Amino acid sequence: MSFALPIAFTLAALAVPIMGLYVLKVRLRRVPVSTNLFWKQIYDEKPPRSIWQHFRHFVSLLLQLLLLLLIVLALSDPYFSWQLLESRRLVVVFDNSASMRATDIGPSRLAAAKSAALEIIDGMRFRDEVAIVLAGSTPEVIVGMSGHAPTLRDAINTLSFSDNPTHLVAAIELGHQLLDQHPHGQIFVMTDGAIDSQDLPLPSALESNASLDPTSVAPHKTQRMASVVEYHLFATAAANVGITQLQVRRSLIDPLGYEILASVRNASANQVACRLEFLLNDVPVDVIPLILKPEEIWSRAIEKTSLEGGRLEGVLTQIHGIETKDVSEKTNATKLDTLDFLSTDNNAWALLPSRKTQRVLLVSPGNLFLQKVFEANPLAEVSIRRDFPAQWPVDSIIVLHGNVPSILPPGNVFVIDPMGSCDQWEQGVAIETPIVTEQNKSSPLMNHIRLDNVLIPDAKQLLFRTPPQALAKTLSGESVYAEVQRPEGKCLVLSVNLETSDLAFRTAFPILVANSLGWFSGSTGELQQSLPTGAVTTVTINRATRVSDDVVLNSPHGETTVLFVAGPDSVNIPLTAVGSSQSATIGPLHEVGVWSVRHGRKETTADIPANILAEVAVNLASNRESDLRPAKELVESRQTHFPAAGWLRRPFWYYLVLVACSLTILEWFLYQRRLIS
Amino acid sequence: MLFPADFLTRLEYLSIISKRVFRGQLLAQRRTMQMGAGIEFSDHREYNSGDDLRYLDWNIYARHGDLLLKRFQEEQDLHVYLMLDCSRSMSFGTPSKFDLARQLVAALAYIALADLDRVAVIAYANGVCAELPITRGKARILPFMKFLEELPTSGDETNLEKAVQGLLHRGARTGLAVVVSDLFDEHGFQKGLDQLRHRRFDAHVIQLHDPKEADPALLGDAELIDIESESVRRVTITERNLKLYKQLFTDHQAAVRAYCCTYNLGCTQAPSVVRFDDLIMKMMRESGG
Repeated sequence: MSFALPIAFTLAALAVPIMGLYVLKVRLRRVPVSTNLFWKQIYDEKPPRSIWQHFRHFVSLLLQLLLLLLIVLALSDPYFSWQLLESRRLVVVFDNSASMRATDIGPSRLAAAKSAALEIIDGMRFRDEVAIVLAGSTPEVIVGMSGHAPTLRDAINTLSFSDNPTHLVAAIELGHQLLDQHPHGQIFVMTDGAIDSQDLPLPSALESNASLDPTSVAPHKTQRMASVVEYHLFATAAANVGITQLQVRRSLIDPLGYEILASVRNASANQVACRLEFLLNDVPVDVIPLILKPEEIWSRAIEKTSLEGGRLEGVLTQIHGIETKDVSEKTNATKLDTLDFLSTDNNAWALLPSRKTQRVLLVSPGNLFLQKVFEANPLAEVSIRRDFPAQWPVDSIIVLHGNVPSILPPGNVFVIDPMGSCDQWEQGVAIETPIVTEQNKSSPLMNHIRLDNVLIPDAKQLLFRTPPQALAKTLSGESVYAEVQRPEGKCLVLSVNLETSDLAFRTAFPILVANSLGWFSGSTGELQQSLPTGAVTTVTINRATRVSDDVVLNSPHGETTVLFVAGPDSVNIPLTAVGSSQSATIGPLHEVGVWSVRHGRKETTADIPANILAEVAVNLASNRESDLRPAKELVESRQTHFPAAGWLRRPFWYYLVLVACSLTILEWFLYQRRLIS
Repeated sequence: MLFPADFLTRLEYLSIISKRVFRGQLLAQRRTMQMGAGIEFSDHREYNSGDDLRYLDWNIYARHGDLLLKRFQEEQDLHVYLMLDCSRSMSFGTPSKFDLARQLVAALAYIALADLDRVAVIAYANGVCAELPITRGKARILPFMKFLEELPTSGDETNLEKAVQGLLHRGARTGLAVVVSDLFDEHGFQKGLDQLRHRRFDAHVIQLHDPKEADPALLGDAELIDIESESVRRVTITERNLKLYKQLFTDHQAAVRAYCCTYNLGCTQAPSVVRFDDLIMKMMRESGG
């Protein structure tokens, strides 16, 4: 036996005053009474047993000394070596993925898992240590190895839902690292089993390892993990129908058109009738009735037209009361409807980029193709001039074809086939039959454009005063299409002669013009991809009207987080919407809905509308997460019992205190009880 | 101080009260049961030869021709014996029972003397310790008080029987015997009172006790010292024992009451913390009722 606090033995000196008090106690009080007449009757009728009478005070002293000894022992916190050897390290891995919101086990799967985890905490023995790991998009240690049950209980009770997909493997690996190869380590995975189980360390991995190499001394990591992992499932074969994909993008051809890509999965053994509605900024744009066969995945691309962009919401509503055949039973029996146990995937969001009309001033000696390309774009209000105006308009995109002024006008300027030099470049020699061999694929200006097969007989060599951002280069390294870097505004230069080239006949040309108009307008392009939950993304924050505010990230449920940028000295600085564009990485986005980046001012009234800088749509978008039925392998390897604490679950001092309390009661019963009125 | 300055005033007040309200009921002017030459008519009896013709009822003889002799109740001086327990147990308590007992004895003596009765005080413990011979006259109250004031507690036990025997051996004439005691008599208080009854004494018992005797606040180990016998007893007083003690004490008090009730004796029980005049008043009321 060892003692954690041996200094407590100094308290044994209290035995001295106890014995001193005992010596004093034997001197009885002398009480004069008027007569012993009645006392004689009492004691002569029932004389005390002489032996007990003789020793009773001594026994009291022994009891008190024993009581002191027990208290001193308890304070010294004794423990046995076997207690250290038998102590366990337990890791409870919580799956708080979206499917854990399912209500097939009331009130929810996660609540049932938390209740079961509390049983593990109740079954902790002294010197056992438990860690809580949350299997989010990235595994997170909620509480490290701890033997303090209240802390662990609090941590479990504060676990909340997320809309993330299940990421158990990384969490189990983290739990395995926490076990640190402890001989009595164990990992309890509290999950619903709605996960693809091929990567999970399952007990079957142990069997396969044994069959392959029974003499293996160093088993594979998966086998090592499988030996300590127990899966506790909180799920039934619940049915669910959900939206597994929703994306929207602008049409590449029609500037006003957009396409919706939607997928719906019926993850049940029953036929389901439902209705898929699409709302753009809360205005219905389409309603599609669906009758989904068992296990059917319905997908469709739907074309629509709208100048305005905004939030597109897909709402899946199950139609109750329609008779559907129960296929699982392979009988003619019918069921009225199938219950939907997960509401997270019944809604999905996508962001449709808005289109804004732009004024375009085309200064050209006359090119019908060029004129028609701009006029054909419904977002462009084109005005045409043959010569330079006296004053350049501020709110227009200026397209200069051929002639260029000596100083380019400020603002957005698109120069096509320049015929001379200006402040940004010096015209060089003509490039004969250039072949475009290099395109800047990362630039939105070059989206859906291929110039390598375009016949360009004639182009101009431009010697830029400041190095431009080349968008298309010839074999000799000359830029035939470039973005000029200048402080007065955006500027594009296309040095291809349209008259001799067949670029004007290619579909790439209107796309190039449409890309350039979109780039000038600051549009992020045709597609703002909806992200799956748990994703991390980068948003670009453009020029803002209020530069003094912090920039915050608002979750769909209204939680606000101030965005920071990492400074060069590794100090986080609050991100502010200043003049130039900034990028901010946000995530993991663990809730479905539309996340918004906006100014951080608190007052948002009708007079001061919330100034949204960027938005991101997040959907569950997971076929497996929408399928609430647990994986077969996990069902086979599920455990239903938790380890019991055994009879010595508490520290040894606890039992010493119990014995001391018992002795106190005994002493009171023998000596004090009769004296208390 | 046992007898304060206003003690006599309070005694006089009690004496007046006793005459006005309880005339003939308590001590003074009590009629003896002896027939004799009194002035108050009692009844008739037949005339026998040799009877005094002065007491022949001539009116009845004239009307009916019967010779009937008138009988009169003889008034005699009442002999009052105040038996004061002066054993050491009477010194228990604060104020002690003995103080109250002496004040009571003084008061009763004053009332009796004021009614022209003859009064004697017999102090006893395990026998008669001291006595004040029988005397009469209100003026004799001061020797009474002096005697009581100088009277100490003594003796190693209480024996009322011996004390009564001592009284009888002195040839005491039958009268009223008032026993003032705590009656903690190991020999039994009944024997002494029996003897008084048998000798046709009109007995009255005043039993005093200290509140601590009725409800001793004792628990735990203790040495109980009997202040009378000075015997020591080592005991562990438990709650149960204490409860038993209280029951025995209550039984003892009840036994005294029951005895007095059985033999038609006056009985007054009181704690030692009451004032003597209040107690006297209480006795008067009880006798009057």
